[in-house]
Amino acid sequence: MKSSSLISTIGLLLAAYVAVPLLLGSNQYVMSMVVAALIIGGVALSWALLGNLGGMVSFGHAAFFGVGAYVSALTTVKLGLPVFAAMLLGGVGATISAVIMLPVLRLRGPYFALAILAYAHIFRIVATEWSSLTGGSGGVANIPTLPTVFGVDLASKTGAYLVVLTLVVCCALAYSRIRSSHYGIALRAMHDSEDATRVVGVNSTLLKGAMLLVSAFMAGLFGAFNAHYINFLEPDYAFNSLWVTLPIVAAIFGGYRTILGPVLGAVVVYLVDQLIFKSLIPTGHQLVLGVLLVAMIVFSPNGLLPLLQKWLKKALGKEKKHA
Amino acid sequence: MLELDNVSVRFGGLTAVDSVTLSIASNDVIGLVGSNGAGKTTLFNAISGLVRPTSGAIRFEGRDVMATPMYQRARLGIGRTFQIPQPMHELTVRENLIVAQRFGTGKVDHQKIDEILDFTSLTAKANRDAASELALTELKALEVAKALATDPKLLLLDEVLAGLETTGKRRFMGMLKDLHAKFGVGIVMIEHDIETISNLCPRVAVLNFGQLIADGTPDAVFRDPAVIKSYTGAADA
Repeated sequence: MKSSSLISTIGLLLAAYVAVPLLLGSNQYVMSMVVAALIIGGVALSWALLGNLGGMVSFGHAAFFGVGAYVSALTTVKLGLPVFAAMLLGGVGATISAVIMLPVLRLRGPYFALAILAYAHIFRIVATEWSSLTGGSGGVANIPTLPTVFGVDLASKTGAYLVVLTLVVCCALAYSRIRSSHYGIALRAMHDSEDATRVVGVNSTLLKGAMLLVSAFMAGLFGAFNAHYINFLEPDYAFNSLWVTLPIVAAIFGGYRTILGPVLGAVVVYLVDQLIFKSLIPTGHQLVLGVLLVAMIVFSPNGLLPLLQKWLKKALGKEKKHA
Repeated sequence: MLELDNVSVRFGGLTAVDSVTLSIASNDVIGLVGSNGAGKTTLFNAISGLVRPTSGAIRFEGRDVMATPMYQRARLGIGRTFQIPQPMHELTVRENLIVAQRFGTGKVDHQKIDEILDFTSLTAKANRDAASELALTELKALEVAKALATDPKLLLLDEVLAGLETTGKRRFMGMLKDLHAKFGVGIVMIEHDIETISNLCPRVAVLNFGQLIADGTPDAVFRDPAVIKSYTGAADA
């Protein structure tokens, strides 16, 4: 990592861990919006990982989110597992549900996207119909809240914020490590020319499959977090297609080929939508998001983060010239 | 090292490769010739694993590789280039070689990569974007370099000289001459130019409508009436 990007990363982390709780911590409403934005940002990150490294467009992430939520909720409610252990299991459960999806990797482009969407519906139906385990459409209530650790009540809005922020940071770090590894380089190379990589010994199907599993694990983790954050689940909520459409909008808006772009996109899109547009246009405020997304795709197809970086570079360049 | 035993590749009603039996030794440098559509590239595709033969057997170092996927054949030591260069997009020249070496051999040896870059005259372009910043000669050199980075025992070169201008071609010829001696790799090269083939290859194999019609020294092969007929397009007597 270059020193300038290291400094900006540290600055960003300080702002996120210290400044946000200090400045916004007292406002429960805004904090809950920020937590929701980061949940979407986390799923957006996992979605972008699959898109950027694996070259796959998934409409099925709602399934990973829902499976993660249900596994974590049920293992705490029925087996009494500690919440954080159950959340990890939620990620594992989502990974296993992705293993079942591996056959769709043989498909490409729109066929893959449609197949994974169909797969996602299977899990929603299972969660509804297997009522002896999942409580059916009645849902699961009284899901244990996040615990208190070292005197910090993680179930509070600020506590939940710190947890979800840490999850996002861990996933972003993992993503960054994968991207800069030899596997990441090979994955980048696969985008335009899969044969070119296979002919030099890259098992492209295995690598893409691995990315699907990693991505599913991450999405499942955020689903699990959300279950303990809101303490209630029902199939129509946990497997709602919003859990994939909002992250897609966020990732594309923020820049899906970057690591921070999807998270930034989620925070901007969700907060602007909920805090500004919703008060201006109580019904149909999502319309503005649609317009914003189209504008972004037309004027900066790479998304918000690359656009900001370009502006920043320009501004800094001008400053240097003046100095 | 490589044995083809009655290998046929059919696409629907078309027989692209027709019962080819051929044995390639580790110290062979073979020129594979034949008119357009004779099945040369399809034969390469069958050996490297891009297409699966309809019938026959392919053995590499005594091992049946018919069902072995392309990436595994690359790891076993079958390297190839594509006629239309296929650089790995979004990567620099050096990264192209790193991926090829890492996945083809299981480890990264930067010294060896430098050697290959030097041998293929790509050192100055090592940090350039492979897909967008290279000229055709360099793209062709990168094809060879990538294949070499996988540490192949057998190298299949598909028209690496085609489309190059005279200087590029001359430089490439020099490189191809040294390739076998320097890297100890068996070579099969598809080329159209008979003079080039005679210059570089002690052994020549000729395909015509998918069939192997000659296999021997350039002198003998290019004097063979059947070969001459296939080249001049004369009708069967």
